[in-house]
Amino acid sequence: MTSIDDRPVPPPDGPLRPEPDWFKRAVFYEVLVRGFADSNGDGTGDLRGLTEKLDYLQWLGVDCLWLPPFYSSPLRDGGYDVSDFGGVLPEFGTIDDFRYFLDAAHERGIRVIIDFVMNHTSDQHPWFQASRSDPHGPYGDFYVWSDDDTRYPEARIIFVDTEPSNWTFDPIRKQYFWHRFFNHQPDLNFDSPDVQQAIIDALRFWLDLGIDGFRLDAVPYLFVRDGTNGENLPETHEFLRRVRKEVDRDYPDRVLLCEANQWPADVVEYFGDPSVGGDECHMAFHFPVMPRIFMAVRRESRYPISEIMSQTPEIPANCQWGIFLRNHDELTLEMVTDEERDYMWNEYAKDPRMKANIGIRRRLAPLLENDINQIELFTALLLSLPGSPVLYYGDEIGMGDNIWLGDRDGVRTPMQWTPDRNAGFSTADPGRLYLPANQDSIYGYQVTNVESQTRNTSSLLQWTRRMIQVRKANPAFGIGTFTDIGGSNPSVLSFVRAFGDDIVLCVNNLSRFPQAVELDLRPWEGSQPIELMGGAHFPEIGELPYLLTLAGHGFYWLRIPRVQQWSGGPPASDQEGLS
Amino acid sequence: MTTSETLQPLVAAWLPTQRWFAGKGRDATSTVARLAELASDPEVTIWTVRVDYADGDTETYQLPLVTRSEPVEALEHVLLGTLDTDAGPRWIYDALHDKDVTPAWLAGMRDSQTQGAVRFIRYAEEPEDIPVDEPSLVLTGEQSNTSMIFGDVAIMKVFRRLQPGVNPDIEVQGELSRLGAKHVPRLLGAVEADVDGEPSSLAMLQEFMTTGTDGWELAKTSVRDLMAEADLHAEEAGGDFAGEAHRLGTAVAEVHADLAIAFGTREVAADQLRARSIAMDERLQRALPIVPQLEDVAEGLRKVFAAVGDLAEGVTVQRIHGDLHLGQALRTVSRWVLIDFEGEPMAAIDARRELDSPLRDVAGMLRSFEYAGHHRVIEFGYDQQLSYRAGEWSKRNRDAFCDGYAEAAGADPRTHDVLLRAFEADKAVYEAVYEARNRPNWLPIPLASLTRLATDGGI
Repeated sequence: MTSIDDRPVPPPDGPLRPEPDWFKRAVFYEVLVRGFADSNGDGTGDLRGLTEKLDYLQWLGVDCLWLPPFYSSPLRDGGYDVSDFGGVLPEFGTIDDFRYFLDAAHERGIRVIIDFVMNHTSDQHPWFQASRSDPHGPYGDFYVWSDDDTRYPEARIIFVDTEPSNWTFDPIRKQYFWHRFFNHQPDLNFDSPDVQQAIIDALRFWLDLGIDGFRLDAVPYLFVRDGTNGENLPETHEFLRRVRKEVDRDYPDRVLLCEANQWPADVVEYFGDPSVGGDECHMAFHFPVMPRIFMAVRRESRYPISEIMSQTPEIPANCQWGIFLRNHDELTLEMVTDEERDYMWNEYAKDPRMKANIGIRRRLAPLLENDINQIELFTALLLSLPGSPVLYYGDEIGMGDNIWLGDRDGVRTPMQWTPDRNAGFSTADPGRLYLPANQDSIYGYQVTNVESQTRNTSSLLQWTRRMIQVRKANPAFGIGTFTDIGGSNPSVLSFVRAFGDDIVLCVNNLSRFPQAVELDLRPWEGSQPIELMGGAHFPEIGELPYLLTLAGHGFYWLRIPRVQQWSGGPPASDQEGLS
Repeated sequence: MTTSETLQPLVAAWLPTQRWFAGKGRDATSTVARLAELASDPEVTIWTVRVDYADGDTETYQLPLVTRSEPVEALEHVLLGTLDTDAGPRWIYDALHDKDVTPAWLAGMRDSQTQGAVRFIRYAEEPEDIPVDEPSLVLTGEQSNTSMIFGDVAIMKVFRRLQPGVNPDIEVQGELSRLGAKHVPRLLGAVEADVDGEPSSLAMLQEFMTTGTDGWELAKTSVRDLMAEADLHAEEAGGDFAGEAHRLGTAVAEVHADLAIAFGTREVAADQLRARSIAMDERLQRALPIVPQLEDVAEGLRKVFAAVGDLAEGVTVQRIHGDLHLGQALRTVSRWVLIDFEGEPMAAIDARRELDSPLRDVAGMLRSFEYAGHHRVIEFGYDQQLSYRAGEWSKRNRDAFCDGYAEAAGADPRTHDVLLRAFEADKAVYEAVYEARNRPNWLPIPLASLTRLATDGGI
């Protein structure tokens, strides 16, 4: 039996203390190793470079980094095509570099979660090479093979732009293999106990190194069954429960974040049994909320957001949503209706090159036409709606995209640190960079970079940092309840986040024009709201509707303090039992 | 105890100052009578006030009062006056504004009580559905009734002017709630009493749509967005409303279908439509001296109305909303909800319950889209470009509404163009008279519509 002392623990000297629900309050930051900083001048970002920038991330207020795959990979899908689950892509560094990075992050109080692709591997993975060449060997059943390409017709094709079928013929094994994504990413066969064990061993390898959790990629597709669409099957949940049990037993304080691009009502299944507080993933992304924010602002109506919030089911006690505005993938529109998708394409993807699969490949700032008021409003919504916010690298300075680059590379260009060569990202010849740095006249690194925004106190970067600080000072944002309080004006979204005495009223003007709104705040009659950024006191809440006026795309975060009952005499002492 | 004799002079002075009192400036005498006592400490009572006008008309009003032994500052604005009694001075207030005593109404409904002549009825299945513990707040801005919300879960409408018969709002919502209709608020309870030997509705309690905003506000948001663009068409603007208009059309059609199930339908033969045609023509005739500008289009409008009399086929009639416009539709987080099935509050209850063609509701909504589209032109002054684009917005959303209606009803209201056009013209004539008398700067909206209806054949 394992004694408590044998269990792997995080480095004892770091400022990170055991805190079971840390992920509920954390601000996450997605950073591409390739795109953040290049330490050796080879034109590609690496783990040493990322380590050098940890002070910046600590200064920004980030609690947890999410690293998309940095595994050995032929890189035909941004690293999501893994060819060795235990190895680091050589151009990113070594496993020792990763250890060094992880310790440095923990020393700064920053946790790290990494991507893990369970569903499939690269076709270059030794498992696949063995499986295709030796059907009867130990890896023969590691993948889903079939003599024809007709099975599982109910399963949809996800990458509709490139894939005609979920089956591809392998000329070596002379059979078809199953793949839900690209045809160079064969799906693992989770019906094989050996596959399940191999995946768990791979997870344990990284947990033993001390990482704080995984973002589990493409979770809904692990199993496939006849007569189903191959998504969200009971067997998939069963396997996730098994993973969770291992984590809970041996690795406290670690988190499993599930990527299931599904409706919230289906995604909650991935939290597991609510009666035990959840026994599958700790976190799951809330996909539909993001396109709805874009739609609500464009329509100047709160209903797209209010609607999706009211349709979002309760989640188990020990779980949390992850929400984001943008990430390394396209702005996905799978979770909107056809009518809404057409609308979003018309509004936000005016050039056909801005579309990718069923989504829009753009960064936040260009999506919002670099309107600082809108960028701030969107960020305020991200930081105040229920769930832990996930920022995407570069959005804190308003980086742009390059729609002329292929697939989703347009939103994966080098981080812009300075106005110097290669945006301060690398000392390599500009032509050697993995992707060219953005030189656009608005979003290019000469204008948009960390250095200039650090010096300018009114910059988006400084503003974002202050907002993160405010969020972290108010636990209601992370763990509070959410109540939509409606109000007289359909262009104004107002909601209350409350955790005990920490009550915050968030009022957001989704219109570009100034608006007035009347709110029914009677439950807090007698309180005097305090604006959270500046500390200004607002008029006392009375019985009549509370009137607020907002500038175009303006918002307020107002703390509603508990009414002071003290009326001038000495404070009443607790004399229970004495009289 | 307060008596009618002591109360009489206070009421006589106070009543004419109330917004819901219809007889302002008319010569009248009033008589108060006690209907019921709901509580004793403080004393909460319901009174009726019969108003006899010099010309022979009578009206009956409802007056809930609370008697306080000390003045209450928060109720200052609804003080009827003070009375000296043996026990000392008493302050008499309108009880509906006193949140300490309004729970008496909810408790009555929860327990299905009878207090004197007053009967409380619970429609909600569970007693807990009546939010007795939530504080009340009177809503401002109401004309003919007094409404208050309890917390943010229920709204109680207290009818000020009493009329014999069940109020159509209670009747319709009660039936539709029973059918499980999703496009009306749930009826939770009602209060009724025998007044002069006839049962009359005193109040109703229904579900309150906290996150709702009325369609008028929402439509204005869309128009505002469009007008701020230099040259976009309505379908290109980010704030396009057509999706909402389409869903609203569907909601109205579903409510009509529920009303037909709940109250039945009847066929009206073609020859009976002639009377309807004549009535509309007569309304136009009466409007002419008030709105002389109508002379230019009168000829065309007469043809529009006459066409109804010439229809070869009859129409199906049923219970309808009767006063439908964007302001009677609430957008909630999940769906459109129609409210206020009361009909015209000043009309007699029997008239408000008459069956009519559902196309009249459709016409009312189409008129409302016309108003929403053009309201900016009124507020900002006439400008040809603005006006053209307002027309584009109206057309797009009127069509989307009809499409949505057709989808749910299985029949497109625009195929009955003769009747629909006549209903719309009839309503616009009424609007023209109203605007000429009350808001002359809004008059161009109905006039422009009437010009269109009188000249081109389209809807």
